Amino acid sequence: MSYGLALIYGVLKIINLANAGFLMLGAYVTWWLFTAYHVDPLLAPLVIIPVFFLIGVGLERTLVRRVLGSEPIISLLLLFGVWLVLQNLAYVIWTGDTRSIENSFIESTVKLGGLQLSIPRLYVFAMGVLSLIALQLFLTRTYLGRAIRATAQDRDAARLVGVDVDRVMGIAFGIGIALAGFGGSLLSLLFSFTPDFGRVLSLKSFCIVVLGGLDSIVGVAFGSVALAIAEAFGVRYMPASMQDLISFVVLVVVLVALPKGIVGTLRSLRRG
Amino acid sequence: MARNAAFAAIAIAALIAVPFVAPHAEYALDVLFLIFLYGAMATAWNLVGGFAGQVSFGHAAFLGIGAYATAIMTQNGISLWISVPVSALLAGAYSLVIGIPAFRLRGPYFSIATIGIGEATRLIARNWSSLTGGVSGLTLSSAPPLLLQYFAALALLVAAVGLAAWIRASRFGYALAAVRQDTDAAETLGVATTVAKTQALFLSACILGVAGSVYALHYLFVSPDSVFGFSTSIALVIMPIIGGLGTVTGPLIGAVIYTFIREQLAATLANVDLLAFGVLLIAIVVFEPRGILGIADRIRRMRKPPAVTVPDG
Repeated sequence: MSYGLALIYGVLKIINLANAGFLMLGAYVTWWLFTAYHVDPLLAPLVIIPVFFLIGVGLERTLVRRVLGSEPIISLLLLFGVWLVLQNLAYVIWTGDTRSIENSFIESTVKLGGLQLSIPRLYVFAMGVLSLIALQLFLTRTYLGRAIRATAQDRDAARLVGVDVDRVMGIAFGIGIALAGFGGSLLSLLFSFTPDFGRVLSLKSFCIVVLGGLDSIVGVAFGSVALAIAEAFGVRYMPASMQDLISFVVLVVVLVALPKGIVGTLRSLRRG
Repeated sequence: MARNAAFAAIAIAALIAVPFVAPHAEYALDVLFLIFLYGAMATAWNLVGGFAGQVSFGHAAFLGIGAYATAIMTQNGISLWISVPVSALLAGAYSLVIGIPAFRLRGPYFSIATIGIGEATRLIARNWSSLTGGVSGLTLSSAPPLLLQYFAALALLVAAVGLAAWIRASRFGYALAAVRQDTDAAETLGVATTVAKTQALFLSACILGVAGSVYALHYLFVSPDSVFGFSTSIALVIMPIIGGLGTVTGPLIGAVIYTFIREQLAATLANVDLLAFGVLLIAIVVFEPRGILGIADRIRRMRKPPAVTVPDG
């Protein structure tokens, strides 16, 4: 269930390898605000989202824009470099020790019928669903959201109809980074973390995005559910240490077998 | 070409002479050994990532398979004359197993799949304890003499660079360049793109398999998180990019810089070296994607403006 939140950052369409870094950074900032200033971890996103948004816009302006015209592999390598910097900066600042946030909220549970449910898990799940809805509304109902989608579909055509493509790309990148930070902040409520925190999760999020289909937000939700189920069942048949293996195998199999994702495959089946 | 060959011959002769001229400079020999090993590995990665433009983040898998195969066979008393070639072939065979499905993907999607493949391979190595010794890894008892290691690594490097130079000038090399520039156009012109990519990956994996053998015999210890580790894959990506992607000498220059920076910074704070490589990677990608060789080329052009420059290497 907790993987429902993976859909938050699954919306990023560009292959942003730095995502893992910002996810990890979001978790660390939450932890740092909590230990140094006693800021409630639930309030940390109020700081993280705007700050990360600005970082994202800045990153797009200064670095990503320079390589947009070249081959996709160049931007992949650039963002890989950004991730490498973030991760190792975190190692230098916070060391490789495992961190976790502990307060009464984290340990609280609620009894619902016969089930003992962890409140933070429910909270994270609810925030995941909420941000999915908010994002979907933003992308379909507002001018900016539609401009982002138009730019994603066809950059030149968007420019022709008067969209300020450069600005839109900066904002989209900023939103992506802000969502990664938000996701990381939420995840810090559930898991302990190290600077290497984002890597496995980021791979899973790629898996989810590919599983769901690259152009569909609803598909991303499908993808996260499918992966969570595959992992939950897989654990019954193999040791828990092999759990991550499932996502990697699913990732590779899906990339190869269903490049259009579940939704895309269904669509083409319907048409065909 | 002839000038390059002459230069290479002089360099090889000089490197062969080093241990005899300075037999007691063990640290220097050790650093040179590492440069040879990394240089061979970077050259192998470059066959796929540079020549064919298929950036792999999972190449540690091949190194790991070579290292483990050699370690296991050595523990069972099998001669190196058998175990090293078998290690290479096992790594090569694994490359076919993963290459055939993975090469159905293109560009960035291939890259992401390779992260998944690399990590999956590491997790299998961690969990298949009866064969690999699990997380604690395998230990070997005795190393071949340092001199032998030195020459083995040098031979591997020369073989790898020689292969790369030969491929670059061959029909096969042109096919790979065509794949890199435009896969569809290459396909239209009759290049069997998937076959070419798979062949490049196979050769690359075989070289890394042997590099894995050399690694295992040098460190006498292999563990999933060292040889199969993501940081190994990262190093393999960084070196050719620093030097110059898709060139013959680029990965070598990258290996020299990588080894020196690592030797200098590893002693200070952990992870500062990777931080430096991250910054270097960003700077190179943004300002000069052709790496150090690209910068050298620019300087040369500034000196004699009207000359027609042919990218060498």
